[in-house]
Amino acid sequence: MSGGSFLWRGAAISFRAGESIASALLRAGERDLGADGAGARLRYFCGIGACQNCLVSVDGSIAESCLTPASDGLKVDPVEAVHG
Amino acid sequence: MARPAEIVCDALVIGGGAAGVSAAVELARAGLRVELAEQRASLGGAYHRQPSGTTATTSARGRRQWLRLTAGLAHFAIAPRLRHVFLGVDTDGLGLLDDREAGRVRTVRARALVVATGAVERILPRPGWQLDGVMTAGGLQMLLKETGEAPPGEILVAGNGPLNIALAADLVRLGRPPVALVEAGDPAKNLGAALRIATFPGLIGEAARHLARTGFAGTPWLRGATVTAIERDGARLAVSIEDRRGGSRRIHGDMVALHDGIRPNDFGLPAVSIGEPIVVRAGDCREVLGIRGAEADGIAAAREVMALLSGTALHRVAPEVSRQRRAQALLAELFRPVREHDGLRHLPDETVLCRCEGRTVGELRAMLAGPDPIGLREVKLNGRFGMGVCQGRFCADAVGEIALAARPDLAAGPLSRDRWPVRPVSIAALAAPDESRGE
Repeated sequence: MSGGSFLWRGAAISFRAGESIASALLRAGERDLGADGAGARLRYFCGIGACQNCLVSVDGSIAESCLTPASDGLKVDPVEAVHG
Repeated sequence: MARPAEIVCDALVIGGGAAGVSAAVELARAGLRVELAEQRASLGGAYHRQPSGTTATTSARGRRQWLRLTAGLAHFAIAPRLRHVFLGVDTDGLGLLDDREAGRVRTVRARALVVATGAVERILPRPGWQLDGVMTAGGLQMLLKETGEAPPGEILVAGNGPLNIALAADLVRLGRPPVALVEAGDPAKNLGAALRIATFPGLIGEAARHLARTGFAGTPWLRGATVTAIERDGARLAVSIEDRRGGSRRIHGDMVALHDGIRPNDFGLPAVSIGEPIVVRAGDCREVLGIRGAEADGIAAAREVMALLSGTALHRVAPEVSRQRRAQALLAELFRPVREHDGLRHLPDETVLCRCEGRTVGELRAMLAGPDPIGLREVKLNGRFGMGVCQGRFCADAVGEIALAARPDLAAGPLSRDRWPVRPVSIAALAAPDESRGE
């Protein structure tokens, strides 16, 4: 797997090989991950899939951004924008 | 009656850290058919996770351990199922794995389940801990391990325990010393415990190296101090810190890493397993013993599985496990908070308790002050505390503590932990196995 870029809210975010979506977003200074369907704010917290606070929509499916490897061309959005 | 898409094995090991890999290798050595599932795209767990293409950050001892464990996997041809998230066991006793790569749920028929899902950090609630930019120390360490660098911005590390010192040292090594290291304990003054810890040479050497590195970088080490609030201040975070005499100060940063200890990540697991699949825990998921205890505990878990499968009882004894238990107890004593714990009575009402649904300390207190007798069950069902998607992993202990401090008469009982791990699963992924079975 090599680096590349994915779309976050429609803007390109570059990532390195082996990096998660959460890590690439934080390196780009994107700390606010929007809101979930119920309006609660989402953001990176535990890094191990336990807190479920960093959920994002990845190509239309909800997943933990800390567990999901970044890959070229993914469309990543806040959960609210897709499922709200 | 095995269905086509079903995975059939003797033992399914959940979690590809040191304990899980150790258990898988030991089970395979005994001739069992083993499946190893890991939620991430690579094995390693919290400790052995490495940035791709950069120098390893663990000790030589750690690297040797990981080489030994992965050599075992290769020897017994155990191909780990990566990006497989464990969802639970269905009513037929089938394990459910969400294959995130393929986007479908796989069912596993196993006689035994070894749960090696590690630990979760204990994070005390504080005003502002829900803000973005505030994360757990372990969460920040994950980012460092993943990329070999820290995300941009100034970082403050706060809480309690040795992990914070390790994180601060890692940040220094990466050229990003934290603006402050706030520690509730005062390990520098706790000489008795420090001397006894010296009988665990690995531990004391590691801590000394971390501290020297942090000290030389000029990071203030504020001992006996606690973070009382985190507020947004423009684009930054303002952190209020109180020292042991009640004096306060504010330090600004862009990110705050919090950590107040760790506990087993055993949420959602049944207390006892009845019949098959037999459920056995390994490593930090069973008891927090750290990396040195994980490998030995994995082997002990595997032997327990074999004994249970052959219908014999086994008293689980492992000398290394007992030794690491003593080390953990000493560390807890060394880092004992200077100020006595007050049952979270100091928290202002507006403090968020439940991070998932934004429920506050004030809302819990109002519920407890009501005229009706209530128990933790009502706190959960009516107050929705511990009902969020994290299953109470980050609020259950605090909710229980506040509730019992306010109402000692309260009917005690676990606030959470009676459901299998809940994870986001798409309808498509759940439907997929049926299609592939051609049913």
